[in-house]
Amino acid sequence: MPAISVRDLRKTFQMKRKAAGLRGSLRALWRPDYQSVEAVRGLSFEMEDGELLGFIGPNGAGKSTTIKILTGILHPSSGEAAVLGHVPWEQRQALAFQIGSVFGQRPQLWYHLPAVDTFYLFGKIYELDDSSLKRRISFLAEAFEIEELLETPVRKLSLGQRMRCEVAASLLHKPRVLLLDEPSIGLDVVAKQRLRMTIQRMNELEGVGVLLTSHDAGDIETLCRRVIIINHGEIVYRDKVSALKRRYLTVKTVDVRYNEQLAPDFSLPGVEMVKVGRYGAKMRFDTRVTPVEPVISGLAAAGSLADVTVSEPSLEEVISAIYERTEA
Amino acid sequence: MGRQLSFLLALWKTNLLSAMEYRVSFLTQVVGMMLNNALYFVFWIIFFARFEEINGWDLVDMLFLFGVVATGFGAGTYLFGNAIRLSSLIAEGLMDYYLSLPRPVLLHALASRSNASSAGDFTYGLFSFGAAIYFSGSFNGLMLLRFALGCLAAMAVLVSFLVLVQSLTFWIGNTSLLTASAFNAIVTFSLYPITLFDGTAKLVLFTLIPAAFIGALPAEFVRKFDLLQLVQICAGGAIFLLLAVFVFYRGLCRYESGSAIQVRM
Repeated sequence: MPAISVRDLRKTFQMKRKAAGLRGSLRALWRPDYQSVEAVRGLSFEMEDGELLGFIGPNGAGKSTTIKILTGILHPSSGEAAVLGHVPWEQRQALAFQIGSVFGQRPQLWYHLPAVDTFYLFGKIYELDDSSLKRRISFLAEAFEIEELLETPVRKLSLGQRMRCEVAASLLHKPRVLLLDEPSIGLDVVAKQRLRMTIQRMNELEGVGVLLTSHDAGDIETLCRRVIIINHGEIVYRDKVSALKRRYLTVKTVDVRYNEQLAPDFSLPGVEMVKVGRYGAKMRFDTRVTPVEPVISGLAAAGSLADVTVSEPSLEEVISAIYERTEA
Repeated sequence: MGRQLSFLLALWKTNLLSAMEYRVSFLTQVVGMMLNNALYFVFWIIFFARFEEINGWDLVDMLFLFGVVATGFGAGTYLFGNAIRLSSLIAEGLMDYYLSLPRPVLLHALASRSNASSAGDFTYGLFSFGAAIYFSGSFNGLMLLRFALGCLAAMAVLVSFLVLVQSLTFWIGNTSLLTASAFNAIVTFSLYPITLFDGTAKLVLFTLIPAAFIGALPAEFVRKFDLLQLVQICAGGAIFLLLAVFVFYRGLCRYESGSAIQVRM
């Protein structure tokens, strides 16, 4: 049985619309204008037990709404969902004992207190006995490298330190599924890497399944084997991250430098010349149209090579291209 | 029941720890509120210096009344501090936190904040009750028990009333102005002798703005045992509590969350 199963899930919000200015406000007072906004449009997907699944999309794509439905925070307008066999909005409390959630913009830790005080409160919330709670805190403190931070008031922690404490708090009750909604938001590169490492480690150690939403393609690339991309509440791509790379990372950019001057009309068949200089050139080609081998041979034949760099677009650029394609 | 009590105790302890991070601010608010209440009572001292009683109520009755109302109000808004800001929690989509944890949402939301100034109300209420005992010259253990029961009932009706009013947020959007008006109305009317009102006004004070269940009724019961009053305050507390829970959970199905950045204080 999959850990998460979603069938034709829909969520519509009623949004009040108002024209600008006092006149608009008066008119809205007399005759309010409501518009239906479909945040989630017939989503269907599954996540296996222990899987690390990336769930990405631009702002307003419906990621957070979906996660809120799956944690039981929101009721869907229609459709079905089961998380660990529970219907989230009907069995919210029973489900909450088995899942953990972290919302990057919604801290769980008490701001004025040290994180350890929130950990003890969570121990009561999740009905953990004192000795197993202490053992669990010390295990997570070591795994997340937060031993030194536990007794510092949360308001004095850096964002990265705080986020590691947040994720540790969400794992206190050994959940089987962790729902992470933009946990790396606002973190610097080092803090992001540390957070990714700890999430990965907990997945390996305890087999906790992770549904991760993020704006950072690096999070998905590092952590997830499979990715679902949504836009305007609909799935626009779903497959393995490696397949996403194979399928979309086909455009190569080549930077080449020669020891001698290039011919002014230097070109190669099937290759787009981005820039041609006296001793070098920058070009782009699609491996689905032009194979790599003739391009490399053509470059070698054009003169004595000093340096060659072949690069591909980042996953971020690929995802952005997928968004743009669905916009069109 | 035991599970929820253990959870509540842990939550209140965490609230206390949070308040103790700023001890001076906490104590200032407590003392400030006690002074504020004392100054308000000075009006009644001046009044009763000129008139011996008003429709059968004298200064000692007022001390009992203030004792019950301030203790019940203080306990209610200290232990369930979010009872006075539930409307903004709902309207601003801040209920997500409580919905994502395995506890009853309403109980968890209400008890997640303690107001320091409410501790001042509570302490003032105890002083007022002490003064009432002193000036009435009558005291026994049963009166203490009646006082505890009266305050508990007052607390239950007050918190339930606030939950009921603010649950309207689920249907009509932000009700902060309505909440402020309802809050002022119930506190104000609960601090007057019930004998001042009759007919429709009295009906309103037992139903729409149930100030009678917070002030006069429990205060009279504390002073002198009356079985009918005992039934009335227990039934009033239970009915308003059940109604509040029912309306809140009906509304919760309409909750729309939000994306505001939040901080847990």
